[in-house]
Amino acid sequence: MSVGTQNGDKSRVATQVTVADAVVVTHEDMDRAQDRSRVRAARMAHGLRGKAWLLWLLIGPGILVMLGENDGPSMLSYAATGATYGLGFFLPFVVLTFAMALVVQEITVRLGAATHRGHAELIFERFGPFWGWFSMIDLGIGNFLTLITEFIAVRAGLGFFGVPPWAAILLALVVLYSALLSHRYWTWERLTLAAAAFNLIFIPVALMTHPHWSVVAHSFATWQPVPALNKNMVLIVLSDIGATVTPWMLFFQQSATVDKGMTVKDIHFGRFDTALGAALAAAAALGAIVVTAPLAGHISAGNFEAAQFAQALEPVIGHVGAALFALGMVEAGVVASITISISSAYAFGEVARKPHSLNLPVGEGKAFYAVLSLCAAAAAGIVLIPGLPLVFVVLVVNVVAVLAMPPALVFLYLLVNDREIMSGVESPRWANVLAGAVVALLTAAGVFYGVSVVAPQALTWLGGR
Amino acid sequence: MMSGKREFSDADTGFVLSTLEPDQLAESKRVAVPRRVLRGGELALLWALRVYVVFMMAVVFWQAWIAVR
Repeated sequence: MSVGTQNGDKSRVATQVTVADAVVVTHEDMDRAQDRSRVRAARMAHGLRGKAWLLWLLIGPGILVMLGENDGPSMLSYAATGATYGLGFFLPFVVLTFAMALVVQEITVRLGAATHRGHAELIFERFGPFWGWFSMIDLGIGNFLTLITEFIAVRAGLGFFGVPPWAAILLALVVLYSALLSHRYWTWERLTLAAAAFNLIFIPVALMTHPHWSVVAHSFATWQPVPALNKNMVLIVLSDIGATVTPWMLFFQQSATVDKGMTVKDIHFGRFDTALGAALAAAAALGAIVVTAPLAGHISAGNFEAAQFAQALEPVIGHVGAALFALGMVEAGVVASITISISSAYAFGEVARKPHSLNLPVGEGKAFYAVLSLCAAAAAGIVLIPGLPLVFVVLVVNVVAVLAMPPALVFLYLLVNDREIMSGVESPRWANVLAGAVVALLTAAGVFYGVSVVAPQALTWLGGR
Repeated sequence: MMSGKREFSDADTGFVLSTLEPDQLAESKRVAVPRRVLRGGELALLWALRVYVVFMMAVVFWQAWIAVR
């Protein structure tokens, strides 16, 4: 991949203009060039204001992917964590999972900026279709199951307000399709960011429970109390990991980085964007745990849906607080349904070598928009079929995400250390050590879960009950 | 990112070419990234993880099915 100077090099410009006749410029190129032109102007501006404007132009994929991953099943997982175990071990543990997500997602920024290729595209072209299809199958299954749970969250959240399921699902689809109407990456990104900001509603709702800050501080300082090691605890651990680190995030952020037009020069802004997203998402996740902590010991949170959590919270935070909690669940489901269906469409376009960009008009990106729309519509439709065991999907979705991550991370590791494509921004040794630690931790968590299912008595050897 | 149905003026084309890196053009995606050969250790690791994923998925779906029933 050539890195090249971004612009301003007169001789290069002259050369390019003379070959203009031989190059086909598309609508997508034109939109991206306009975005990049604003970045170039901002980069030339001096002072704090110029830097702030540049940052505003370049943030997006990192915040979106992190707040997008605070989706329906993730927020339900955090709520179940708080309602089952209260404050303690899981507060710092969730921060650790977001640190893992940051390590992994930062790699996708460098990959996208250096290669200008999406994740699926790189795996297929660099390692061949055999391994490419394995990755796509993992992604496809995970994304579709997760999409279903997003609509379950929307249905349950709006159910708190008495909205019938069909109307809730229809509303979610309308929002999803409306976000795409601009056919402009920049506009879509800003609209979705605005919607994703509502995820932070879990923070003020948590404050409404008047948490004991000394207990919160003690939890972070000591990771205590640690819950008894049993099958349920292992499931919650895996579910909370799957709530922050999943394959769709890799595919989405790398493709969005490419679609946004980021280059090697922008990597440190992409890094900041991802870190900011991780911090905001972690704060919202902690909020969800804190808000349901007062329910610990009073309810069985295993199969709770959003509306039931909101109803259980009403005596603690009042009707307004419970309503905000339910709305937070709706937002989580809607925003994630947008980002996840786009992640599927990007990956499909990259593999099928069809145009794939949010800058495409419908006429030029029929396959991209068709996949996006059909995935969302199919998942939404499934949620409305009466009698289907949807709890089954909610139960497995985060666990499936954790299990699919190690192979995805190995591809990520191989790609980011590939000197032929990385243009000098390969991972340094310390970053490889961190990524290796994440792979080891995720694999160990998966194995631990397997042991807890196949041979639960083995947990007693480790001090469990 | 490979469709080129819409035409632009020379000025627009010049603007795009001077603003984007060559690899960012939709047309550049027609050229595939060259294949690299996976080494023995890498292949062994990928196969091991593939077996792990398939086995663990079976465990998860079995457990969830039992839980639902």
